[in-house]
Amino acid sequence: MPPTRKRINRLPFLQWLAIEGGLIIVLSLVWITESRLAGYSAFIGGLIYVIPNAYFAHRMYRFEGAQNAHLVVGNMFRAETVKLALTAVFFAAVFILMEPVHVPALLFTFAVMVALSPLMRWFIRPKPQR
Amino acid sequence: MEMVFIAAALIIGLGALGAGIGFGLLGGKLLESTARQPELGNQLQTKAFIMAGLLDAVPMIGVGIAMYLIFVVAG
Repeated sequence: MPPTRKRINRLPFLQWLAIEGGLIIVLSLVWITESRLAGYSAFIGGLIYVIPNAYFAHRMYRFEGAQNAHLVVGNMFRAETVKLALTAVFFAAVFILMEPVHVPALLFTFAVMVALSPLMRWFIRPKPQR
Repeated sequence: MEMVFIAAALIIGLGALGAGIGFGLLGGKLLESTARQPELGNQLQTKAFIMAGLLDAVPMIGVGIAMYLIFVVAG
């Protein structure tokens, strides 16, 4: 019986981060027309989304395959918990430490990034490698 | 002022409840479908990853608004 070749998924991290970073810069440039503070706040809002999301993706793809399904699901739950906690901590840190902050720019950029996240996950799928 | 904290607690709590139920269903279905067809495990994992993005959108925005209420409106 020939050895079975297993398909391994690899998450295109760099491509993903590049597209998210480009989107953040575009949104920041749009907000910078209002004021420099708004552009800076928009950039911070995007970063608050990108860092926990990168952790989530990294953690979810640590294990693969049917034999590790229980580890995949366990890691997914833990990654989601840590992602929500990191988001809360980052928001709290920005509101406490960053003075002044343009709140509409911050929250709008964050919300746009969150809303576009499923689309990005759909278009930039993990690539199967042999 | 207390109402702001109650509102923030409701936003975070109900968001976490919804995300918990959703992730429980998603993880359960992922395990079930992987057990049925193990050869599709990687594809199912990718689909679960995409669905997780849809699932945690509302709680994430809720966390942001709740932090704004706690630290800016009430602070």
